[in-house]
Amino acid sequence: MKRIIIDREKCDGCLNCNIACISAHEEGSNFYTVNLQSPDAETRNFIKFDAGKGYLPIFCRHCDEPECVLSCMSGALEKDPVSGHVQYDENKCAACYMCVMNCPFGVLKPDKKTRTKVIKCDFCDDKPDGPSCVKACPKQAIVVKEVNL
Amino acid sequence: MNSNFSCKTCASADQKLENFISNLSVDTSHHRMEGQSVKCGFGLQGICCRLCSNGPCRITPDGPKGVCGATADTIVARNFLRAVSAGSGCYIHIVENTALLLKKTAASKGVLKGKVALAKLAEIFEVDEADEHVCAEKIADLVLADLYKPDYIKMELVEKMAYKPRFDRWKELGILPGGAKSEVFAGVVKTSTNLNSDPVDMYLNCLKLGISTGLYGLTLTNLLNDVMLGEPSIRLAPVGLRVIDTDYINIMITGHQHSMFAYLQERLIQGDVIEKAKAVGAKGFKLVGCTCVGQDLQLRGEHYKEVFNGHAGNNFTSEAILATGAIDAVLSEFNCTLPGIEPICDELKIKQICLDDVSKKANAEMKPFVFEEKESQSNEIIDSVIEAYQARRGVVALNLDAEHGNDDTLTGVSEGSLKSLLGGTWKPLIDLIVKGEIKGIAGVVGCSSLTAGGHDVLTVNLVKELIAKDILVLSAGCSSGGLENVGLMSPSAASLAGPKLRAVCESLGIPPVLNFGPCLAIGRLELVATELAEAIGVDLPQLPLVLSAPQWLEEQALADGAFGLALGLPLHLGLPPFVTGSPVAVQVFTQDMLSLTGGQLIIDDNAQSAAQTLDAIIEKKRQELNI
Repeated sequence: MKRIIIDREKCDGCLNCNIACISAHEEGSNFYTVNLQSPDAETRNFIKFDAGKGYLPIFCRHCDEPECVLSCMSGALEKDPVSGHVQYDENKCAACYMCVMNCPFGVLKPDKKTRTKVIKCDFCDDKPDGPSCVKACPKQAIVVKEVNL
Repeated sequence: MNSNFSCKTCASADQKLENFISNLSVDTSHHRMEGQSVKCGFGLQGICCRLCSNGPCRITPDGPKGVCGATADTIVARNFLRAVSAGSGCYIHIVENTALLLKKTAASKGVLKGKVALAKLAEIFEVDEADEHVCAEKIADLVLADLYKPDYIKMELVEKMAYKPRFDRWKELGILPGGAKSEVFAGVVKTSTNLNSDPVDMYLNCLKLGISTGLYGLTLTNLLNDVMLGEPSIRLAPVGLRVIDTDYINIMITGHQHSMFAYLQERLIQGDVIEKAKAVGAKGFKLVGCTCVGQDLQLRGEHYKEVFNGHAGNNFTSEAILATGAIDAVLSEFNCTLPGIEPICDELKIKQICLDDVSKKANAEMKPFVFEEKESQSNEIIDSVIEAYQARRGVVALNLDAEHGNDDTLTGVSEGSLKSLLGGTWKPLIDLIVKGEIKGIAGVVGCSSLTAGGHDVLTVNLVKELIAKDILVLSAGCSSGGLENVGLMSPSAASLAGPKLRAVCESLGIPPVLNFGPCLAIGRLELVATELAEAIGVDLPQLPLVLSAPQWLEEQALADGAFGLALGLPLHLGLPPFVTGSPVAVQVFTQDMLSLTGGQLIIDDNAQSAAQTLDAIIEKKRQELNI
């Protein structure tokens, strides 16, 4: 099973992971053309700055025991038994936001424009070349690793 | 030497060069591309601002404005105008030095090789003076006087040089430039912290800088150099790594200020200097061309047959040329003198001398060129190069590639030599265009970069597509260096052209891609375009003529691009100039420019589709001209 592993010490806060995430979810866009000012521009990963600790990359962990899945009443969030990734089905979502409240990392959020769905990492649909954020990180602060669970 | 270099080198349109570089044991730009492959998205879009300590600010979904309130449109415009100002400054530095050298050469009754160019300039500037030295000095003074004007006083030669319909349009738009140096200053001030925030005002300012850059930095630099160094004449010449002859003491030259080498070039082939070379076991001295100054020397090669062995390659070939081990010294006076040559020179004991501190390399000897001391300076340079030769030859391993390049690149093409080839009139070319034997003209210019597919990759692929559509290509800049090394400037390349262009080329014995030499010669393309427009009686935007800088590299290229847009020409770039984060920038460059100057920016990194777009524009302009 593949997971994004974070090395906080390496993060420079460049936010390239944000751009990559937004671009990956804006069809047909690339780093030159992705519209960062669009109301649809939503990143699924976050970099926070802490004066004491430096940059804190916040990414969906696709947890072994995902609180978001456990708290989801409509079945919109499910953990894929093969990939181990937590996937979200917008059509099943009741927008109760229990997942947002229960995520221990604060990585889930309602969408800005309509507030009717959840913005969540989809591991770039398990594309063969991996998640776009990882490819865009110039410091290898985030890497994909195979983990045995 | 750096032992951490990557083993993977980037692709090159020049397969032999790619193989040569991939087998090198020194680190080059081609090796470093992989380590720099992840790019910053904010930088690419031009939406990062570092103008104050509240920054760097970047435009994000949660931060749509900088701390100061600057929008993406303001940030992009400021960054762009800053870059165009810097690029303009570079070219204005070149023309200033060239004019100063012409003034001093004329005042000291030095040799003026270009009588035709002198007469042409005297006519344009309305200088009526029989004595050629007095005439040349007056011309230099007129240029310098314009360059040194304040920004609120318009330069006087603009009206004399510019095509009238263009001048009138520029006047209407309020973009006639003041003193060229002051305009650079104004551009820098305007874009500083909490000053101008109006993107449209800043883009109009870019056009103004484009005009001063183009007419002075490009066109006039060529013509002033023609007076001193001789006009280009068409001939076949060898190009590529094969031009390096190990029997000689080899000096590689990099830069843009050819006239700084004028005295040294003559000195290197004088008897006493050749004797000095022979005393250490060499047959004499040879200059090996690299970057634009090599391209310029190649262009005028007819005047320098003995000392110049040929142009070896463009900007991103320079490290490979040094890595042959057969270069004994590098003389540089401007860009592109890559910092990457420094460790190679150290490792291979290559002497580095800089003649202008603007291109001072960290480990090079600084020897600022002083006209009055050129005799003693040249002798000192010769002695230190001989010293380097003695210390390194036989010690440093040679790694040559006699197969690289070719012996039959057609060079020496200029507005003058091309017209002469056509019989002293543009009519034959215009007739060919009217009949459709030549569908149109594409000026493929600018640099090489290692992006857009790799070294010269998009440039070469685009040119192949264009000539296959019967579009004649004129090239100026490092693009020429790449195109000639892959054989597209050899007469045999006619076979790659479409049937009509092929027939024209074969009947004239010319290639479908004509070599105008350095990037400075973009100014010569402007002269060709203007003379064609004048002959037909139309304005420049009506011509079936397009520009492309497929692999533009640096700030100077952006100033060139601003000139192209001011001329009202469609301009294709492979990659965007860091402006796509601003909707206003995209709108101005790709749409509104059409109604301002007639120009238009086209961004496309795909050779096939870009060629189709340019072809469609040419077809449209042909239809509008009823041809």
